Amino acid sequence: MSLNDTLKNLRENGIDEAKRAERLQELNDLRVNLLGKKGPITKALRGMKDVPAEERPEIGTLANNVKNDIQAAIEEKMTELNQKMVAKKLADETIDVTLPATKQAQGTKHILNQTIEDIEQFFIGLGYEVASGYEVEEDHYNFERLNIPKDHPARDMQDTFYLSDELLMRTQTSAQEGRDMEAHDFSKGPLKMISPGVVYRRDDDDATHSHQFHQIEGLVVDKNISMADLKGTLDALCRHVFGADREIRFRPSYFPFTEPSVEVDVSCFNCGGEGCRICKYTGWIEVLGAGLTHPNVLTMSGIDPNEYSAMAFGLGPERFAMLKYGINDIRDFYLNDVRFLEQFKGVN
Amino acid sequence: MKISVNWLKEYITVNHTVEEMANKISLTGIESGPVKLGEELTDLVVGHITSIQPHPDSDHLKVCQVDVGESKDIQIVCGAPNAAVDQYVIVALHGAHLPGGVKIKRGKLRGQESNGMICGLDEVGVPAQYMPKEFENGIYVFDEPQEPGDAIYGLLGLKDQMIDIDITPNRADTLGMRGAAWEIGATYNEKPSFKKPELLADKIKDINDVTVDVAEKKLVPDYLLRELKDVKVGKSPLWMQRRLWNQNIRPVNSIVDAANYAMIEYGQPIQTYDLDKLQSLKLTVKFANDGDKLKLDDGEKSLNHNDLVIVAGDQVLGLAGVQTSIEAAVDENTKNVLVEAGVFDGTSVRKTAQRHDLRGDDSNRFEKGVDEGIVDEALMRAVQLMDQTSDAKEISNDIIGNFTKAQPTIIKGSISHINHLMGLELSTDEIVAILDRLGFDIDVDGDAITVTIPTRRWDMEIEADLVEEVNRIYGYANLPNTLPAGMETRGGYDPKRELANKLRDILLGEGLDEVINFSLLSKQEVEAFNTTNSEYTKLLHPMTEDHEYLRNSLIPGLVRNVAYNQARKNADLKIFEHARIFQRATGQNRPDEITYLSGAISGNVVADSWNMTAQPVDFYYVKGIVEELLSFTNTDAEFTFVATDEYKNMHPGQTAKVLANGQVIGLVGKLHPNYQADHSVSDTFVFELNVDMIFDLNAKNVKAQSAPKYPSISRDLAILVEKNIENGQIVADIFANGGKYLKDVNIFDVYEGKNIKPNHKSLGYHLEFQNPNDTLTDDEVEKAFSLVKDSLAQKFNVEIR
Repeated sequence: MSLNDTLKNLRENGIDEAKRAERLQELNDLRVNLLGKKGPITKALRGMKDVPAEERPEIGTLANNVKNDIQAAIEEKMTELNQKMVAKKLADETIDVTLPATKQAQGTKHILNQTIEDIEQFFIGLGYEVASGYEVEEDHYNFERLNIPKDHPARDMQDTFYLSDELLMRTQTSAQEGRDMEAHDFSKGPLKMISPGVVYRRDDDDATHSHQFHQIEGLVVDKNISMADLKGTLDALCRHVFGADREIRFRPSYFPFTEPSVEVDVSCFNCGGEGCRICKYTGWIEVLGAGLTHPNVLTMSGIDPNEYSAMAFGLGPERFAMLKYGINDIRDFYLNDVRFLEQFKGVN
Repeated sequence: MKISVNWLKEYITVNHTVEEMANKISLTGIESGPVKLGEELTDLVVGHITSIQPHPDSDHLKVCQVDVGESKDIQIVCGAPNAAVDQYVIVALHGAHLPGGVKIKRGKLRGQESNGMICGLDEVGVPAQYMPKEFENGIYVFDEPQEPGDAIYGLLGLKDQMIDIDITPNRADTLGMRGAAWEIGATYNEKPSFKKPELLADKIKDINDVTVDVAEKKLVPDYLLRELKDVKVGKSPLWMQRRLWNQNIRPVNSIVDAANYAMIEYGQPIQTYDLDKLQSLKLTVKFANDGDKLKLDDGEKSLNHNDLVIVAGDQVLGLAGVQTSIEAAVDENTKNVLVEAGVFDGTSVRKTAQRHDLRGDDSNRFEKGVDEGIVDEALMRAVQLMDQTSDAKEISNDIIGNFTKAQPTIIKGSISHINHLMGLELSTDEIVAILDRLGFDIDVDGDAITVTIPTRRWDMEIEADLVEEVNRIYGYANLPNTLPAGMETRGGYDPKRELANKLRDILLGEGLDEVINFSLLSKQEVEAFNTTNSEYTKLLHPMTEDHEYLRNSLIPGLVRNVAYNQARKNADLKIFEHARIFQRATGQNRPDEITYLSGAISGNVVADSWNMTAQPVDFYYVKGIVEELLSFTNTDAEFTFVATDEYKNMHPGQTAKVLANGQVIGLVGKLHPNYQADHSVSDTFVFELNVDMIFDLNAKNVKAQSAPKYPSISRDLAILVEKNIENGQIVADIFANGGKYLKDVNIFDVYEGKNIKPNHKSLGYHLEFQNPNDTLTDDEVEKAFSLVKDSLAQKFNVEIR
């Protein structure tokens, strides 16, 4: 057989063997065997000395081509086998993604605190400071400074836990008003504060009453505060909490420490004002009380009511949360059943 | 109070439905609701009983022939004992609808045909407790002949429409029809008109059988009496009776009814006494003697020296402004009447009414105030009505115990300031027009206005009250929505709250749910975890034993939550609370309010599942949470954990105090097994940290350092040491001797038991050395490591393994 034919045979057999290989090792062996220094191609080329000089370049080229072709066949097969191996590995590693996750539980913030902080954030955005005050308060700040002297009938409405003649569990976060007005330096600008916190009343605990509950008091004292400012502020608050389509309305009311005093209703977020069970078929839900701070209250805090005016409002986070999430029993907030608590994950 | 629309029409024009009015009054003045009586009633007519036969098969039923205005009388079987011939009665015809869904059908009663029903007042909607007593056990009988077949609704006020106003305490001026007419009139821009009461001049005589002395003139600014002589007490006219029972007042007789009617008109309570029943003609208004008795229908009340009373000699006629005694009550035999109109101090009335549980129409009015400008007029009106219905022979002038001429209030204000406070720019004319609608007199002088407020609006005192009146009548709906436009302010939390928020976020991230508990605890609870050695702070008048003391620790609340949840099969719990405790040193009056962050973990922290094995909570898990919390406090303080057995309800071998620079700031540990058993909780670990103390620690001064460039070298150390030596001691000693390049010491093994000397433990430590500025050599490390080992051997007698 001519050298030429030998080389061609080697090529044919080599490519054929590469194609038939099933394992990477076979291909490695094939490369060493065929293309190595001791392989048949090297061996065959030793016969070059017998080839006429003028044919040698041609045979040389052929020999290189044979080597390259076999090399290519081996590589092609290697790639193919590699891909198969990866595919098999991936298939073996496939899992059931519907099996339950390994729990990475975050805790849930109490729904009352979520409600409170949502409101706090709203007011912080409007430049209000948050100051929470004392839970044990003096009669002086809780009542007298709010224009509720001893024997005022309003004290009957707020049955109070006293610690002594002068100390009590605050019945309203409004108790913070006097302290904040005293402490504020009006030369540095207006006083804008909200005061969230726990308050206490002598009430029997039932579905709608709790001897301990929360309030958020708001107070703004400046030279130009008006009822329109109060309405605009509470309108924005109610839209923030109850939805952008809500509107509010004021109804005249009475609190000893504001004049004028209003109750604030928000249009029913359930029926949009058509009338439903939640709004007792009125289209409106009472959500908070507010007013312009009574001049007596300003005067008692050393603020001249002819120069300054002030607006105040007070709202109940329990009521807000009960309305917003359809909670029917105020006691649920304080029983802390984790199944109750955890349903409010990330609502605010 | 319910404002009858028909009655209101005597004073103002009414053009609106009761629903519209109630809505508008709610938005401009007083919370109101529409009331429409008897909407369901049909086919109720006047009947005239023309004859009665006994029922052949019954000893109490009667067979009545009744003229109901039809061509023939109809037969009705009736069981009422008071039914009699020639009575004018209420007949419910066949097909009539009565309250409560009752429908009348013709039928047979024991064989006798009955074509309807003869009704009692309560059967057609007048509440039994407000109808005249004489008709309590029978049918209603008209006093005067009526036209048979006529509808009865108007005669008896059965379909009256009313506005039910629910006043705030400052608007008691509307607790009378006249005040309500002013308020509703202002809402609709209708000025009410009233007739002045007048007495027949020839009956006025200069009589004063009684004399009156008001001892407490300050508490009784007005006390007026009139006498009526030789009256004929009878029934009051139907128009008066129906208005009274629709006001939830039971008609009694022509004198008492007139007094009540005048009260509803004027809002001024009026009392009546039978002059001949007085034990003395010397009346005194004074404080009672302790032990004085007030006689009532259903017993008597024992009075004390805080109760203001009206007495005739020693006879208590009544608690002033609260309740009259039955002793001198006017009845059908009364000949001579004493009528009283007084004004009594609201606080005194309120306390007396509360003390004796006698709050009612009168006390409600005095508590909130009455118009002191019309006391004499209201008295005259009552007397006028009494004379009209009971025909007195002689009437006295006012007998005055005390009289204070009420003066109108003058309020000065400014148009611009009023506008300013509303956030509106109304013209002077607009503002004046609104104040005029309310019946105020206004004097304008440029920007200044002087408003004269009649005595009927005693709630009006200052300019701010004018702002409210103008704004509400103008309509709050017409206010623009603006925001305060002053100088820019920086909003935010105070730094302590910022810290608490940050720490709460860490705990939430660690998977703890936040709880909120009550601050008032039982005695047992405040005694359980008095970790701050506080005096207990007790309420003066607690409501229940469960909520008697101010909490001195958050742990009792957390344990209650664990117990509550575990009783409901929520076994695995991780909870925390951020709240205040109340701490009080001996002799301190007001407790300090200290913010704490406390938590409880119970059950498994890793649940048993298809790919995980359950891992119950242990001390080190909770300690890890506390350490992570402390690492976020941004302080340069050194935090340490020191074993303690001094808390009685904590496990003595698994509890540590948490210290910051040697000061106790909290604790972490396991509840005592006995305490757990008492409270039905499984193994529970708790922690508490004083946030105020953490806040007061020095802030850390973080200076950035690049990540180390040079490799570290490590050494492992295995030692055998007596069991009572703590890891903390070993680590401290290693650091003390490890030289400046010792960067970290980690314990990787703790073993005691098999193959270890009794009472000993084997510990394995991993030491890491690093020079931030150069490559460390083995020699340097070996030198330091030897020092470490030598020291341990010397100090703790350890065996290096």
